[in-house]
Amino acid sequence: MLTLPRFEWVQPRSLEVLLDQLAAHPRESLVVAGGTDAVPNLKHRLHEPRYVVHIGQVEELRFVRDEGDGLHLGPLVTLTRLTREPAVRRDFPALARAASLVAGPQLRNMGTLGGNLCLDTRCTYYNQTYFWRQALGFCLKKDGVHCHVVPQGKRCVAAHSSDTAPVLIALGAEVEIASRSGRRTVTVEDFFVTDGIHNNVLEPGEIVTRIFIPARSRGMRSGYQKLRPRGAIDFPMLSVAFAARMRDGLCEDARLVVSALAARPRTVGGLEALLKGKPLDEPAIEALAQSAYRQCKPIINVAYDDDYRHEMVPVFVRRTVREALGLPPRAPAAAGAPA
Amino acid sequence: MPQDTTHVVCRLRVNGDLRECAVTPYTTLLEALRYGLGLTGSKQGCDKGDCGACTVVVDGEPMLACISLALAYHDGPGITTIEGVAEQGRPHPLQDALDETGGAQCGFCTPGILMSAWALLQKDASPPREEIARALSGNLCRCTGYTKIFEAVELAAARLRERGAGA
Amino acid sequence: MSPRKKDMAIPAGRTMPSEERLTPPRWGEGRTAPPNGEFSVIGKRNRKIEGLAKVTGQAVYADDIRLPRMLHAKLLRSIHAHARIRAIDAAAALALPGVHAVITGKDLPAYYGIIPWTQDEQALCEEKARYAGDAIAAVAADSELIAEEALKLIRVDYEVLPAVMTIDEALAHPENKVNEKAKEGNISKHVHLEFGDVDGGLARGDVVVEGDYWYEGSTHTPIEPHCCVADYDPSGFLTVWSSTQVAHYLHRDLARVLGLPSQRIRVIQPVVGGAFGGKSEPFSLEFCAAKLSMVTGRPVKLLYTREEVFYAHRGRHPMRMHYRTAASRDGRLTAVDAKIQIDGGAYSSFGLVTTYYSGQLLTAPYEMPAYRFDSTRVFTNKPCCGPKRGHGSVQPRFAFECQLDKLAEAVGLDPLELRRRNLMGADCRTVNGMRVTSNGFPQCLDAVERASGWQEKFRRLPYGRGVGIAGSMYISGTNYCIYPNEMPQAGVQLKLDRSGRATVFCGASDIGQGSDSLLAYIVCEELGLTLRDVRVVAADTDLTPVDLGSYSSRETYMVGNACLDAARKLRHEIAETLSHRWGCRRDEVVLANGLACSTRDPKQEFVSAQEAFQLTEARIGTLGSVGWYQSPKLGGDYRGGTIGASPAYSFTAHVVEVECDPEIGFVEVKKVWIAHDCGRALSPVAVEGQMEGSAYMGLAEALLEAQLFKPAAPHHGPGLHDGPSLLDYRIPTSLDVPEFISIIIESVDPEGPYGAKEAGEGPLHPSIPALANAIYDALGIRCDALPFSPPAVLRLLRGTDARTRWEKARSQTAVEVRRPC
Repeated sequence: MLTLPRFEWVQPRSLEVLLDQLAAHPRESLVVAGGTDAVPNLKHRLHEPRYVVHIGQVEELRFVRDEGDGLHLGPLVTLTRLTREPAVRRDFPALARAASLVAGPQLRNMGTLGGNLCLDTRCTYYNQTYFWRQALGFCLKKDGVHCHVVPQGKRCVAAHSSDTAPVLIALGAEVEIASRSGRRTVTVEDFFVTDGIHNNVLEPGEIVTRIFIPARSRGMRSGYQKLRPRGAIDFPMLSVAFAARMRDGLCEDARLVVSALAARPRTVGGLEALLKGKPLDEPAIEALAQSAYRQCKPIINVAYDDDYRHEMVPVFVRRTVREALGLPPRAPAAAGAPA
Repeated sequence: MPQDTTHVVCRLRVNGDLRECAVTPYTTLLEALRYGLGLTGSKQGCDKGDCGACTVVVDGEPMLACISLALAYHDGPGITTIEGVAEQGRPHPLQDALDETGGAQCGFCTPGILMSAWALLQKDASPPREEIARALSGNLCRCTGYTKIFEAVELAAARLRERGAGA
Repeated sequence: MSPRKKDMAIPAGRTMPSEERLTPPRWGEGRTAPPNGEFSVIGKRNRKIEGLAKVTGQAVYADDIRLPRMLHAKLLRSIHAHARIRAIDAAAALALPGVHAVITGKDLPAYYGIIPWTQDEQALCEEKARYAGDAIAAVAADSELIAEEALKLIRVDYEVLPAVMTIDEALAHPENKVNEKAKEGNISKHVHLEFGDVDGGLARGDVVVEGDYWYEGSTHTPIEPHCCVADYDPSGFLTVWSSTQVAHYLHRDLARVLGLPSQRIRVIQPVVGGAFGGKSEPFSLEFCAAKLSMVTGRPVKLLYTREEVFYAHRGRHPMRMHYRTAASRDGRLTAVDAKIQIDGGAYSSFGLVTTYYSGQLLTAPYEMPAYRFDSTRVFTNKPCCGPKRGHGSVQPRFAFECQLDKLAEAVGLDPLELRRRNLMGADCRTVNGMRVTSNGFPQCLDAVERASGWQEKFRRLPYGRGVGIAGSMYISGTNYCIYPNEMPQAGVQLKLDRSGRATVFCGASDIGQGSDSLLAYIVCEELGLTLRDVRVVAADTDLTPVDLGSYSSRETYMVGNACLDAARKLRHEIAETLSHRWGCRRDEVVLANGLACSTRDPKQEFVSAQEAFQLTEARIGTLGSVGWYQSPKLGGDYRGGTIGASPAYSFTAHVVEVECDPEIGFVEVKKVWIAHDCGRALSPVAVEGQMEGSAYMGLAEALLEAQLFKPAAPHHGPGLHDGPSLLDYRIPTSLDVPEFISIIIESVDPEGPYGAKEAGEGPLHPSIPALANAIYDALGIRCDALPFSPPAVLRLLRGTDARTRWEKARSQTAVEVRRPC
């Protein structure tokens, strides 16, 4: 069977000890919670840490607190729990839905929200065994110098593949980050950067300690749609999250996030001009779809060709928005006609 | 010094027993079960969490042993494997039903399928077929096309309900 | 085959021997005996004999075997698709603590190959690696991890050679020779056969449909990866446990490659976790594990990673096919002409047979007055293709059944009616000289038509939904052994014990399809035993007589007949014994349900099976028998005319119903009706399982799966597998399967055991073309290239006047399509 590399085992039982470990060995530690991303990656020798820091017993990081200012989620909350948690299902159904669409049941039972947020980016040239990558000549994300997706490229374009992150961005959620030297909070949107090698702002020694969805996002109409070949197991080939605050049939605020295309989820720009103070009717949905189509440029980093995934952007935007509004996936006029 | 000199004792609560075996930090739970404890019923099919053949149940939830680290379960929660499903030496109704409907052909995915279905039936006494299909969606079967597995889960659920009603 | 019976009764109040199995049997309607001729085991929904072991996790697969002092081996594989191996330096690997041996091609230089005429493989490449992943060295170490670490220390000096990645490149660049054993360029095999006046038939046809088809390669993907444990003991005896489906052929090739006399080798097949043709020839792992055991004097296990299973491959060949199909105005075929190019990968495997099968197995169930095929298999620098379920004939069947759908439209016939007009009957010969005995294809068509509601659905469902139909035939075992010989193809030894127990010894290979159980069912039926009283010892070359293995759907037919032969010999002796005892005729002795009695006076004249065995043993001595099967000489009288010859053919028809999402190109199969003529279903549960599993696998090839390789790019060479994992090579989950409706058709073959024929591979064939035809009904697009992936479907929808074609096809229904009255 595919072996794991040699490493030392660290299992802190408190955040304090965890942060000490990370402070002492910031670049040599790999944090593992559910292990659903990290362990396969270790088997592929994508990570070769000296220490594997298993945080499954840091109980301080496992909580769901539904409070006045919003919903506070510990990073160790499993994806399965997220799908069942009443506060999530009631206030942020798209988040429960996104969590329910991750991989298969076993991986949702093991995988955590923190892990899903910090999911390593994925690429057809990267998520392979050591042998395969050696035959490739490696790539610039790990062990090599070239990008095989964009042969002239100097920057890694591996795809952000988390299902929950786009929804969290659409809902205006925030992430609390801690290290030995203190805590800071960033929006989930700003948590991600465009570098495929390391696509978030976590510095060595830091860890996500809390995810927070503000109270003002309660009651937003939200949706999440995922393009994948099979009904389960697969990572997204394209994902779309949408959230809108509606008042009297008019849109006050909305966010549209398209992901699984590049290292950072793309928040579609210009929504305020398109939607603010307007009804979310068919022309508005179409305008959103076209806007997303123009702003998103898929590349061949995951399965399905780039043209197809590009073409699917507006389709999935329409479906996501319609899901958020409680409408059937396709407008009646479009039904029965080839797209 | 590549020799495996870093073995430590791992104490696992498996099928109601407290068992010990020597592991390294980089021993998976599946390796510990299969090679350390001789519980070879859980299978290794894909190496890395893609097929479900290694499914075991922890705290009522199916998990994948091939991407779990053994030490994470040291003195941890109870693990149920396929070897722990039979009741007083008699096949569990689910095992019996899988055998009866022909839901096990080559049998290699069967232990994993069975564990996922077993966990499902503990939560839901009469799951509709869509629910069964969802619960088994992390377990790949290459022989059956799944139909006879669905039938087995339905049959077992019915028999368990009967048994519950009779008790 | 079933003894004549009168009603018999066990006298009331008379105590039976205490064993539970001797409880008097109960039948319906107050009868105490089965109605005349009814089977007691055959055709019943019996469990499999190893079923409980499997569902309780007790079944022992190869990787469950762990021997004392066992070492673990790993293979070093080529990182280049095509490279000369100048030198290998394993010194550093050998020096690593925990490493016990390293072997390279020089240690195992003999060539082997499943087909004796095309032996072109070495366990470890000596001179040249021919695909990225080709094995070149093997390490035995204390653990898998150490073995893997040692691999990284082996230095290989490669000279990279130009690689050939496609059929076109292989043909265009004969100078870039992939396989030195090829006689000419990169040609692995070429077959050209013509039957009847093809050119005349094409000219005579009122309609000629011409089409190009592409069948993408796919791989078997059993959930169990290949695994082998080898133990060379101090006496010089080698035991090999391997997840193989051909223990006998492995036995022969081990002897050949290792240079050991075959009587010093024992091959044991443990429980196998799926194979589908992917374990039907020897692989590097068996030779290397054995050699490393010989070198180290310790048992050695070699377990393939999932990635390595993709390199071992031997899966479905990619085929490019061109068909011309001519028919008269009323839809009767006048000629079929096929040109086929086959991408074989780096080695021959079964390729010689594949090349023949691509043409030879198309000639039923439709009458073809004239038929020609020209098939060429080429070598390319990719993992070797071989026999995947429905070997060689799934691809042409796809093309041809799509051709028939187009032909039906061209002549204005319902495609079901078109098929009916071209039916071939039972007891006839195909245009290429194959003898057809039983033929239940007409009943298959009727059954799927009725069950699916075809008449209400075809060309009548709303846009996006549709139904399609296709048919096929397949062999029940190949008529000839892979190496020519006059010995039986299947042998069975049967031993009866004084305890009342029967043990069947047979080389047959149960890979999940149920051949072990089949042996038990037949013995139970013949000797009147219950399933718990029979043990099956299978696929162990020391203990079991040779059976050629689990390939070409041969087990039910050939092993079944061999078993029937052995069981009837003993049955005869038992009946003889009891007829003496009771003074009745032999045919008045009945064996059923653990009892033997006379039909004349069952109240007085009865004994338990155990007593019957003991009485017989006392009369004639120790009880044992042998049975075997050798097929009659069959086939066409021409070179290659024996390939495709089978003692019987199975037939299948499918109707597939789809619902498509034209906006995103997704095709969802809602329901599949499968009617399969298996002669007689010896075990209906097993037959249904094969039908469902086959249809599932065919649909998966059509929609999801593809064994693809990356072409060369600026920063890497060609030939990398596109994604050798179960995450990237997507096989359907429980959420991706339709509802399967299995309808068993029993044509009762005159020569099959109880009339049985195959069921394991035939039912795969029609699923792909029936799906393609259903997509046409739903969307008006012709999916002539696999896989029908969402991007491909969308491209077809964009690239054609699909909607117009769809509407035209609809309107044709109303006015032109003639249906049977």
